Amino acid sequence: MSALKLEKVCKSFGSVKVLHDIDLTVEDGEFVVFVGPSGCGKSTLLRVIAGLEDASSGSVEIAGRDVTTTPPSKRGIAMVFQSYALYPHLTVQGNMELGLKQARMPKSEIAQRVAEASRMLSLDDYLDRRPAELSGGQRQRVAIGRAITREPELFLFDEPLSNLDAALRMNTRIEIANLHRTIDSAMVYVTHDQIEAMTLADRIVVLRDGRVEQIGSPMDIYNDPDNQFVASFIGSPAMNFVKAAAYGFDKGAVLGIRPEYLTVVDSGRLSGVVTHIERLGAETNLLVDLDTDDTITLRLFGQYSFDVGQKVGVDFDDAKALFFGKDGQRIR
Amino acid sequence: MNKARRNIWHSVAAHGILLTYTLLALFPVFVILINSFKTRKAIFRHPLQLPGPDTFSTIGYDTVLKQGDFIQYFENSLIVTVVSLFFVLLFGAMAAFALAEYRFKGNTLLGLFLALGIMIPIRIGTVAILKMMVASGLVNTLTALILVYTAQGLPLAVFILTEFMKQVSEDLKNAGRIDGLSEYAIFFRLVLPLVRPAMATVAVFNMIPIWNDLWFPLILAPSEATKTLTLGSQVFIGQFVTNWNAVLAALSMAIIPVLVLYVIFSRQLIRGITSGAVK
Amino acid sequence: MQNAERKPRFKWHILVFLAPAVLVYTAIMIIPIFDTLRMSFFADVDNNQVFVGWQNFKMLFGDERWADHFWNALKNNSWFFMIHMLVQNPVGIMLAAILSSPKLRFAAAYRTVVIVPAILSFVIVGFAWKLILSPLWGIAPWLLDSVGLKSLFAPWLGKEEYALTTLSLISVWQFIGIPMLLIYAALLSIPEEVLEAGECDGLTGFSAFWKIKLPLILPSIGIISILTFVGNFNAFDLIYAAQGALAGPNYSTDILGTFMYRTFFGNQLQLGDVNMGATIASAMFGIILVGVCLYLFAIQRRLRRYQF
Repeated sequence: MSALKLEKVCKSFGSVKVLHDIDLTVEDGEFVVFVGPSGCGKSTLLRVIAGLEDASSGSVEIAGRDVTTTPPSKRGIAMVFQSYALYPHLTVQGNMELGLKQARMPKSEIAQRVAEASRMLSLDDYLDRRPAELSGGQRQRVAIGRAITREPELFLFDEPLSNLDAALRMNTRIEIANLHRTIDSAMVYVTHDQIEAMTLADRIVVLRDGRVEQIGSPMDIYNDPDNQFVASFIGSPAMNFVKAAAYGFDKGAVLGIRPEYLTVVDSGRLSGVVTHIERLGAETNLLVDLDTDDTITLRLFGQYSFDVGQKVGVDFDDAKALFFGKDGQRIR
Repeated sequence: MNKARRNIWHSVAAHGILLTYTLLALFPVFVILINSFKTRKAIFRHPLQLPGPDTFSTIGYDTVLKQGDFIQYFENSLIVTVVSLFFVLLFGAMAAFALAEYRFKGNTLLGLFLALGIMIPIRIGTVAILKMMVASGLVNTLTALILVYTAQGLPLAVFILTEFMKQVSEDLKNAGRIDGLSEYAIFFRLVLPLVRPAMATVAVFNMIPIWNDLWFPLILAPSEATKTLTLGSQVFIGQFVTNWNAVLAALSMAIIPVLVLYVIFSRQLIRGITSGAVK
Repeated sequence: MQNAERKPRFKWHILVFLAPAVLVYTAIMIIPIFDTLRMSFFADVDNNQVFVGWQNFKMLFGDERWADHFWNALKNNSWFFMIHMLVQNPVGIMLAAILSSPKLRFAAAYRTVVIVPAILSFVIVGFAWKLILSPLWGIAPWLLDSVGLKSLFAPWLGKEEYALTTLSLISVWQFIGIPMLLIYAALLSIPEEVLEAGECDGLTGFSAFWKIKLPLILPSIGIISILTFVGNFNAFDLIYAAQGALAGPNYSTDILGTFMYRTFFGNQLQLGDVNMGATIASAMFGIILVGVCLYLFAIQRRLRRYQF
């Protein structure tokens, strides 16, 4: 039995179609991340799964039950919102209890679940505080705690880290990963941050303009993208794209090569002028204007000294090159 | 889906309640306006019918215009309201700017002092205000009313405008100072234009109670030459209680200018109330 | 500013900015209010103002010439306020809740209409309702007849037992739009995500209103209540316009404002008494002050505003 099954889910707002025939299955205990540029429909899809929006057509099945027309509270889901969405008038404890009280759960069971969640997230010292008295990271933990107490079939996260600062973001990311290992429920997570996607996901769903571009494990997506969009969206610095014909390849229209697969050599198939250098300590990024008018990025591990204006030769391993047709589809 | 059907039912019920309330809110105004254009007979026989060719009559308006000096009343109301608003806005904005912009001893205390008047109504001081106006010979002048309404409007004006002035960018004012603008120029040329929306809100909030006030015109300026439209219609209706045509016409003449003003300013007023300007 | 060495130039502009507002406000509002309070401790003896201590207040609260009227006015005023609280707030909240429901069509039009009564003067409102409720004209009996309730009709404004309640309801009718819009604004400021979190927790419809929205708009209800309190305890215009200075029938609609006016200016039955007028004003001042302080120190503290 799968935790979530979407079949031909469509969603339109008026005449604007924002989701096109989405099919997706999430297995029990799986962590699936929706990623895509803003406006790609990933949040809408999450809201359709939650029941906050009705699907225009298609069906939503959670834990083997058709919930297409079921209200959110009866779907067996819990959701963590971007802005935390804590009830400002309730204490931390009150926030975690409300949904359970609403479901008329016995008091002892509520107390036990809240205690469990509070222990898991180290919230014991804050149970009597109100959201306004907590820091951003603490609020986010309360929001997660509120979701845990519901013991849902499926956790939904809507960009939960985007309101946190960088350092806290990494900590909370690790906490969420730990949480997933501990409670082993299926999770669906929406983000526009590819680091979150790569580090958290068992499988990534790349969306664009309301359509699924590719579904696969992070390394599949990285190493074996189905099309040019996925190839360019995942990976930073982004993959280089050059006209294949200009370098003597007769396969496909566009050649794609990741920056780290390029090497500086004395004389290679490519040559050009260094226009910019980014020194990050652990790595050095070079921007090179090729003689063939393409601009490419090289990612070199370690520290190197180059000068702007310096002429360099560049080469790569053909096995690492990807080819795409005129329509952007991968040619394997 | 049942969700959709429930939503339709909900919205029918919602519109039903709101429409009922709309009718209740507008009904008295509507009844007064239509009947003011009817003959006496028609007023009593068919109070809810629109005036028709047989029942149309402006006799009420003729009486009103002959007996009462409504043009004069209207002019008085207009002068009092406009001049009071001008001073409320000017003085209020100036004080608000000083409170928001400068640190000086007693800043907070002065702010609290000015805020007192938001909760304590000026009417409490009526006895002494009248005494003072008598002593200074201002009884039965529009000046007396303007002074009172200016004082009445200042507390809320200062309070609201201070909040808004605090949001004006510090950098902008400092840039002005570096460019050699005086503090007065910074206030009039940089800050005032930026708080115009708040000024409009304050103006609309003050306009209605000033225009509609009965208490101070009755006590400070009841003479024929200084009657405001509100007092004028009150007195007129009191004298012509039994002449229904005249009473309805007088009421209509008091309603129409306010309705016209409202049509112009309603958006501002609603935005003012709902923006939380009066928290 | 004594520290002249550190601040060599006196900042005249601060004074210039503050002076007009402070002067007008102090001279026309603060001084008269305190002068009125002062006058309530004096009495007129042979055209001379003589200090009499608390005597005026003793008369107002205890002497039969004054006390009956005073307690009657205070009782009526309290009833006037109660009706506002019991009708205006619940109905206003209900209308606001309906108006704030998402995707409601014509919301802007409804919003515009609900405050039309509030912009009309008390004189217009008072007379308009007096005419509509008049048994002579017959609009009210006719309307009741059309829904089969003609037997309920009575000349409400002319009956001692109904007049005050009727006037209170007219006043509610006039002002309900303001609290309604304030609550409407408070409801709209609740973030959508909080309501959606509630939806995931099973709080929809009425329970969402009761458990999430209502607690979050309590501060607005508190403000509305205190504004209503202050407005009601210095009300005058509506009663004066509809029932005259004698607040008939038989003083049954007399409130503190009309009582003070009558006392101060006199009427057919009695001469005006400046000092007693001031005394009543002082009593009103005391009542309003107690109400405001109660609100500021007891109620507002508990009704916390929430950050979202």
